[in-house]
Amino acid sequence: MKNKRFKKLLDAILVPALAIISGLILMAVLIAVTKKPIFASYGVLFSKGFGCVKSGNCAILTTLERATPIILTGLAAVVAFRSGLFSIGQEGQFLVASVVAAWLGYSIHLPNGVHQIVIILACMAAGAAYGYIPGILKVKLGVNELLATIILNTIATLFIEYMVQFPLRADKATTAHSPLIDKSAELATFMPGSKWGVGFIIAVAAVILVFIFLWKTKMGYEQRMAGQAKRFALYGGVASDKAAIRAMLISGALAGLAGAIEVLGVHRRIMTGFSVGLGFDGLTSAILGQTHPFGVLIVAIIFAGLKLGAQLGLQLKLGIPRELGGTIIGFIILFIAARKFYEGNITAIAGWFKRKPNQKMKREGG
Amino acid sequence: MEGFFSVFTIELVNSGIRLATPIILAGLGGALCNKSGVLNLALESKMLLGAFVGIVSAYYLGNSYLGLLVAMAAGGALGALFAYLYHRYEVDLVILAIAFNLIISELTVYVMRVMFGNVGSWSDPSIVRIPDLEIPLLEKIPVIGGILSGYNIIVYFSWVAAIVLYIVLYKMKFGRHIRAVGENKEAAITVGINARMIQTLALVLSGMLAALGGAFLSIGHLKLFTRNMSNGRGWIAIAAALFGANHPIGTFFAGFFFGITEAFAVRIQNVTDLPPNLIELLPHFATLLILVFIALRDKIKESMARGRFRSKLKSESANAVKENSAS
Repeated sequence: MKNKRFKKLLDAILVPALAIISGLILMAVLIAVTKKPIFASYGVLFSKGFGCVKSGNCAILTTLERATPIILTGLAAVVAFRSGLFSIGQEGQFLVASVVAAWLGYSIHLPNGVHQIVIILACMAAGAAYGYIPGILKVKLGVNELLATIILNTIATLFIEYMVQFPLRADKATTAHSPLIDKSAELATFMPGSKWGVGFIIAVAAVILVFIFLWKTKMGYEQRMAGQAKRFALYGGVASDKAAIRAMLISGALAGLAGAIEVLGVHRRIMTGFSVGLGFDGLTSAILGQTHPFGVLIVAIIFAGLKLGAQLGLQLKLGIPRELGGTIIGFIILFIAARKFYEGNITAIAGWFKRKPNQKMKREGG
Repeated sequence: MEGFFSVFTIELVNSGIRLATPIILAGLGGALCNKSGVLNLALESKMLLGAFVGIVSAYYLGNSYLGLLVAMAAGGALGALFAYLYHRYEVDLVILAIAFNLIISELTVYVMRVMFGNVGSWSDPSIVRIPDLEIPLLEKIPVIGGILSGYNIIVYFSWVAAIVLYIVLYKMKFGRHIRAVGENKEAAITVGINARMIQTLALVLSGMLAALGGAFLSIGHLKLFTRNMSNGRGWIAIAAALFGANHPIGTFFAGFFFGITEAFAVRIQNVTDLPPNLIELLPHFATLLILVFIALRDKIKESMARGRFRSKLKSESANAVKENSAS
């Protein structure tokens, strides 16, 4: 029994770990093309992504700050995937919520403590509302949620660009941005030098809450049933349509929460180019983290670190384009998807070690 | 308001046809894949790959037509890789597409920056745009000549491709095999159709078509490559294939509709003072509405079929009752 559980855990960790290692090996090839030093690049990548030289200049804290929205959008993807919806609309929900946060941040004035809560709730509602659109289209009309969310993402990207450049624009600066939010709306940070703060705590709390919801409550069980076996769930009395709508609402609210934290805790405003694919990173970390909340937490931090290292270390220090980070992440998804390749080889290697003189015994053991 | 109506000219149709070309090409590829039962959501990345490889090889080979061929080869190779991973390692095609959409969008920029310095978009004066062709007799006809003549070879190729694909799919035995695989793979295999070969072929061909559509963007329409140049056209192409019910001719006209919408959005910016971002939304709203429309259409079809089945059942049982009482 215990052995079985251990094997399951090993399976859950081994394939992603091998995929990440393969991605890092591939990185060496791509760096070799630029004729830059390979081993030095790895050193710079990790020290700028996960290192901590002195207090006040701690890369790992910035990594945690960057991981916060990825964790939340990743959780949003987990809730949707587990409920059987292939929604990749986290980016759009995140952006719509960001606009709401930036606008409420300076247009209404409330005391510190109340202001943040009001904005966060409004953002979660906005994200949920934007997630409701593909949900209701899917349930009532059968519109493919994947296509619908992709188009809604594009619409949200253009919408936020418009809002920044026209209605919310603060001044005539060359790069358009909205006014700074009130001091009373800011989320507190823990240490000078990075924006790592309350937002991260909220994200970790969300990880735990989503885990409890999906695996320890009746409603969460229904969600997962609707995702795993639709017919079985219907037979068991789960209204799969309701489960789908609920999934999209929760998923949208989580992505909206990410938007609120990103505005209130990090940028304190929105500007052109606010959309940098954070929703997509969340999606990736959900796939890579075995669509499990704790997996998302770990993978999101690794991702944020790799991206930060690629940006600050590789691009600024060594002149290697930062797109390398995204490329490697893409390849890691590919390697995860090709898990059969690893599984086949793992079994082959395991067989090597287990090989006994008697072939029959091996067959019994396997 | 007069300014508004001045948009509707032959030039609108012309640029609509041009802008429709990449969507039509990729859409035909998507339709072929849907017909053979493989969901191809990676049209976007194949298009972007074609745009990049097309312009870079045109630069190094010194010939834009060769650039088109190399781009098609690259798209076909990516399609073949998809087919290999799908059949050999049973990789989920949706996740594969998501991975490659990310890889290609980042890798093209990475390679561009490594090769040509730290730039956001790249072009070179030595690159020649694919020239427009005037069709000898056609161009003389007043209005029709203006609409049908004066495009480059890729545009005409997309028209021919739609017709050829229609003939192959609906008038040839091989096309029946393709559709059989898409409708019921197991049954098709049982009667001896090589389903794996057909699906591989569909993925390779759709890769080539989408890549050609991408190359049209970089060396056929404009003369440069920028980050994320395909800009969602691969996804619009998927919607076009669905809108056209996966029928080549239907997909062609669906693609044309999206092209006209985009051309309209470009042109209306000149005559109104609406913010550009809002106008850029137009084609995407159109796509979303089309998706809703497709779903409604399928739903109505389904309920009508159900109604027919019911009335048939009723009349049959009524007949049975009659026969029983007669005997």
